[in-house]
Amino acid sequence: MNLLDKLRSIESKPREAPKPAPVPERTCYVKHITRDLSEFPGCFSVTADLLNLMWKEQLPQDLHPTEILYLDTETTGLGGGAGTLAFEIGIGRLTESGFQIDQYVMRDYPEELPMLTCIREKLLQSRAICTFNGRSFDIPLLRSRFVMNRLRPDVLDLPHIDLLPIARRLWKMRLNRCTLSHLEEEILGIQRHGDLPGSEAPKRFFDYLKTGEFTLLEDVLFHNEQDVASMCTLLARMAHDYDRPERIVHQEDLFSMGLALEKERHQERARTVYRMVPSGKLHGKSQAHLAKSHMRGGEIEESVCIWLSMVERREGGIEPMVELAKYYEHRAGDLREALRWTEKAILTASEPSMDTGAMQDTLLSLQYRYDRLRRRLDVLT
Amino acid sequence: MNVDQLSEALRRDAGFMENVVRWEVLPPRPAAYAPFPEELDPHLIPAFEKRGIHQLYTHQAHAVREVLTGKDVVVVTPTASGKTLCYNLPVLSSILKNPDTRALYLFPTKALSSDQVSELYDLIQLMGADIKTYTYDGDTPGAARKAVRQAGHIVVTNPDMLHSGILPHHTKWVKLFENLRYIVIDEIHSYRGVFGSNLANVLRRLVRLCDFYGSHPQFILCSATIQNPQELARTLIGRDVTLIDDNGAPMGARHFVFYNPPVVNQQLGIRAPLLPTARGITEMLLKNGIQSITFTRSRLNVEVLTHYLKEIVRDPLGNAGRVRGYRGGYLPTERREIEKGLRAGKIDAVISTSALELGIDIGALDACVLCGYPGTIASAWQQAGRAGRRKDTSIIFYVASSSPIDQFLVSHPDYFLGQSPENALLNPDNLYILLSHFKCAAYELPFLDGENFGNAPSSDQLLGFLEESGIVRHVDGRYHWMAEDFPASDISLRSAASENFVIIDITDPAHHRVIGEMDRFTVPMLLHENAIYMHEGTQYQVEKLDFDACKAFIRHVDVGYYTDADLNISLALLDIEDEKKDPDALQMGLGEIKVTALVTMFKKIRFDTHENLGWGQVRLPETDMHTTAMWWIIPPEISASLPSDQLKNGMLGVSNLLRIVAPLYLMCAATDVVVVYQVKSPITDQPTIILYDQCPGGIGLAHKAYQMQHLLLDKALDIVSHCTCSQGCPSCVGPVGEVGIDGKETAVMILRHLQEKNRRLTEKGGRQKA
Repeated sequence: MNLLDKLRSIESKPREAPKPAPVPERTCYVKHITRDLSEFPGCFSVTADLLNLMWKEQLPQDLHPTEILYLDTETTGLGGGAGTLAFEIGIGRLTESGFQIDQYVMRDYPEELPMLTCIREKLLQSRAICTFNGRSFDIPLLRSRFVMNRLRPDVLDLPHIDLLPIARRLWKMRLNRCTLSHLEEEILGIQRHGDLPGSEAPKRFFDYLKTGEFTLLEDVLFHNEQDVASMCTLLARMAHDYDRPERIVHQEDLFSMGLALEKERHQERARTVYRMVPSGKLHGKSQAHLAKSHMRGGEIEESVCIWLSMVERREGGIEPMVELAKYYEHRAGDLREALRWTEKAILTASEPSMDTGAMQDTLLSLQYRYDRLRRRLDVLT
Repeated sequence: MNVDQLSEALRRDAGFMENVVRWEVLPPRPAAYAPFPEELDPHLIPAFEKRGIHQLYTHQAHAVREVLTGKDVVVVTPTASGKTLCYNLPVLSSILKNPDTRALYLFPTKALSSDQVSELYDLIQLMGADIKTYTYDGDTPGAARKAVRQAGHIVVTNPDMLHSGILPHHTKWVKLFENLRYIVIDEIHSYRGVFGSNLANVLRRLVRLCDFYGSHPQFILCSATIQNPQELARTLIGRDVTLIDDNGAPMGARHFVFYNPPVVNQQLGIRAPLLPTARGITEMLLKNGIQSITFTRSRLNVEVLTHYLKEIVRDPLGNAGRVRGYRGGYLPTERREIEKGLRAGKIDAVISTSALELGIDIGALDACVLCGYPGTIASAWQQAGRAGRRKDTSIIFYVASSSPIDQFLVSHPDYFLGQSPENALLNPDNLYILLSHFKCAAYELPFLDGENFGNAPSSDQLLGFLEESGIVRHVDGRYHWMAEDFPASDISLRSAASENFVIIDITDPAHHRVIGEMDRFTVPMLLHENAIYMHEGTQYQVEKLDFDACKAFIRHVDVGYYTDADLNISLALLDIEDEKKDPDALQMGLGEIKVTALVTMFKKIRFDTHENLGWGQVRLPETDMHTTAMWWIIPPEISASLPSDQLKNGMLGVSNLLRIVAPLYLMCAATDVVVVYQVKSPITDQPTIILYDQCPGGIGLAHKAYQMQHLLLDKALDIVSHCTCSQGCPSCVGPVGEVGIDGKETAVMILRHLQEKNRRLTEKGGRQKA
C-alpha cells in the first residue's frame, strides 16, 4: 500500500474533489452600493457627546458622523484561530449624497492581501470604527489576518464603537435576544426577506471556490450589505434614545437606559431617566436606584425622601426600610428610629406574601441589626 | 517511630523477613559541587547567595554552560536533584540580559505547571527582578490571558494547551513567537507512546511557527533515568541534543525492601494476594505514625485499598479523612485539596495511581509502598522518590504481585537497582497522529510548495491528500486551509481515540452530576452495561451506556463484587514492511495489521476471595484498529513434529513469556503491547506468534521489538530456564492449568529452536555483508 492509499483508507469519508476555480486577477473584487439617506433617519445627529454617553471609549470631540467607518466581515468559520479568514469585508460610510457601502471580496486566497490592503487604506482615512460584536470577533480576526499577511495591524486600534454591548444594555431586558436581525425587527422595524443566515456564509464561500459560481456569493453579499446598513441605522437610533430618553416607549427600555447611564457614570442623566419611569412594575426599582444614587452623591435628604415615599406606596419590599434603618443608625444617630424601621422590616419580611426563602441572609442581618440596636439602646437607658 | 527505628524493628521480625527477598540499603551520596559559570548574568548570583547557595551541583553547572553556548540539551538526573535550576538559570540569565527574551515551559500536567510557577516566583522575588512568569492553561481566567500573551517572559503551560490554545491562535502571541529563545520540556520520559508521538508533532508545529516569526529557540529537556534519553529527546524534537547526566546532588540513605508474598498454592504457583499484603504494610506504617504513599497500578486498586484502609482509621463520627485515594478521573479541586492535605500533614496515607508520581509538590513523605510494578523502572524510581526527597532516611517497599512481570522483577532485584534497561519509544510518523497534526499545521499557516513538516516524511503526499479531500486549496504555490473546522479540537494528545466518554452519576434523579471521563477504547471494558465502576471507594453500577452520545449513566450500589470484562480479538494482514523468508533461518516479519476487538461478556468477582460469581453478556459494537505488528513463524520442523495440543501449549507458553519480557524493554504498559499466538495465522498461514502495538497506527513498539527480537527471545528463555517451578507457573509460561503439563518443556524447545535459527539468520546476514 502506498501512502496515499493508506491515507485514503484511514480517513473514512473523503470529501468531494474541488473543481478548479477560474484563475482570477490579483486584485480583489469590489462592489459599490449607495443607499438613499432616507433609509437612515437621524444618522447625521450622531455626535461624539452622545457616543461618549454610550461607552467609555474616548472618541475625538470633533468627530463627524461621516468619519465613522461601519465594518462587518463574512468569514470562513467562527473558530477565530489562525486558519479562519475573512473572505468578504463590507465597509459603510455616510456621505452627503447617501450611505455608501463598499464590499471587498477575495475570489481566491491570493486576493486576501490586496483585499486587506484596501481595508487598511480605508481605515487610515477614518477616525472611528463601528461594528456589531467586532470587539470580540471582527477586529481580532482582522488583526490575525494582518499578522499572517505581514501587514501592520495598528490601524485596527482606531476608537471603536461596538453596538452589541450597547444594544444589550438598552434592550436585553425587554427582548432577551440581541442579534442584529432581531434588533432590526423589534427596534428598527425592518423585515428581511429571504435572508441567508450568517452561519451559512462559510459553506457558500467554499462551494464557490469549488465551482467558480460567483452567484453563490450574491446572497452573502446582500446579507452583509444589510448588516452594514443596519449598523448605521441602529447607531442613529441609539443616539436618538440617549438624546431624547423621554421618547422611549417601553418602561423596560427606560429603566435599562438609566442603568446604562449609571454604568458609564453619567449620574445626573441616569437620575433624570429613573424619574421618568412610569408607575408600574419597574417604578419601585427605579426609585431604589435613584435613592441610592442620591445617597452616593451625598444628597442624603433626597434619598431619605425617596425611601419614605417608597414605604408609603409599599414599593420595593423591605429594602427602603432597611435603608432607612441604616440611615437612622449611622448617619442621623437616631437609634430609636433605626430600631423602629428594623422592626418594621422584620415584620414586613414575615408577611406571608414575601418570598422569605430568597431572603434568609437579609433576615439574618436584620436580626443582627436589631440585637445590636437593642444593646446600644440598653446601654443608653 | 521514625524510619530507622521501624527498619530495626522489621529486621528483627522473622515472620516479616521470611518474605523479604532482598533488603538493599542505598547509602547516602555526598554532593559534588561546581562554581556558578561565569557566563551567567552577575545579577543572578546574589539572589542565590541570599539563600545560602554559593555554588551549584556539577550537573547544574554543566547544563548551564552547554545551554549558554547555544546547545540543545537533555538533563538526566533522579528525583529531587535540583534539575529545575538547569533550565531556570540560563533562562533567567538571558532575560536579565535582554528583557525581550521569552521562554516557554512545558509540563505534562497542569498541577506540575502551577507548582513550578510558584517556585519560579520565589526565585524572581529573591532577585528583585521584573520578570513575569505566568501559567497559561485551562484554568487561566479569560481576563488574565491577554496579559500573559503580551507580557509573559516565561509562559508555563502543558502540551494540550500549547496544541489547542496557543498554536492555533499564534497571531495573538506575536511577542512570544518573535522572541522565543528557550523551550523547556520537563519529564520527557512521560512523553512516550501516543502522548509522545503527539507531542513530537506539536513541537514540529511550534518550530514551524517560530520560523515564520523569525525566531530559532533552543531546547532544554529533562528526563528521569532511562536507557535512551538522548534518542528519546532526538525523536521528540527532531534534532540532536547534548546529554548531561553527571548528577552531583546528595541523597539520604534509602532502604529498598523487596517483599514477595508467600506461596499459598505450590502446584499453581499462586502467592498470597497483593492487595491484602500491601494493605498490611500500609496499615503498619499508619499505626506507627509514618506518613506514607502507596502506589497501585489501577484505579480499581486505589479504590479497593482506600475502602479497606478508611475503615481502619474511621473515627466514631465516621470521618476517615486521614486516608485518601488519588487518581485521574477525580475532579481537579478534589485533587488540589488532597495535595494540600499531604503537605500540611493532615493526611497520613494516600493511595494513588501513577497520577502522583510526577513532581507535584506533596512534601516529603517517609515511606513509599509500591503495590506491584508500576510499569516502568523510571516510574518505580519516581514513585520511590516520593519518600525521602529531603536528606533523611526513607524506606521503600516493593510488594510483588503474583503477576509474572512482578515475579520476574522480585527475583531479579538487580534489574531495578542496576543500569536502566528501558527504551522510551514514540513514533512521530504514526500516520494517524501525523495526519492530524499536519491538518493543524495547515490550519495554522499555509504550506508552501516543497515545504517540509519538521523531519516528517512525504509532506507533498500529505498535502496532495488534503487537497484531494477538499480541506486545503492549492493556489499560487501555497496550500490554504479551506474548511470551517478547527482541527485541533479533534485531537486528544493523551489517548489514541479522540472522543472521551463522560461518566454521569444518576443516583439522585433531581441532580445528575458528571464524576469523570474515560477514553473510547477502555469504555467497552469498564463501562459496559451492568459493570461495577468504582470512584473514591464507592461502587456504582452502569445503568446505561450511550455509545453514540459518548455517555455512561451510573447509579450508586453496594455489592460485594467487582466486574471483569472478556475481550475477543481477530487479526488481518494489511501490508508487509519487512520479511525474513529464508527457510533455513528464522522466519519473521513486520507490517501493518487490522485488529478487531469485541467485548462479549463479563465476570462478576467477589471481593477478598476473588471467586467467580457468574457472568453477564455485553452487547457493544466491534472496534477496528489498524496497527503495527511483528511476528515469528514457528519453524516448520517443530510444528510438523508436534501434536497440535502440545504445539498450542508451547506457543501459549512462549507468548506468555514474551508478554512478560517485552514491556520491560519497550518501556510501555503491559497493556500497550499484545502478544498472541495463532496455530494457523491469517498473516502467515503458519503457526505464528504475533506481537502488536495496542494503539492505532502503532507507536514504535513492534518496530523496536523487531529490531531487538533476539534479546527478547534470549530473556524469555532466561526466565523459563531459571524458574524453579516444575511444569509452569504464572511467573514463567503460565500455570499448568492453562498451558498443560507439557507447556513448559515445549516452550523451552520452541525458544531454543528460534534462538538457533536466529543465529543462522545473523550468520547469513554477516556473510552477505562480508
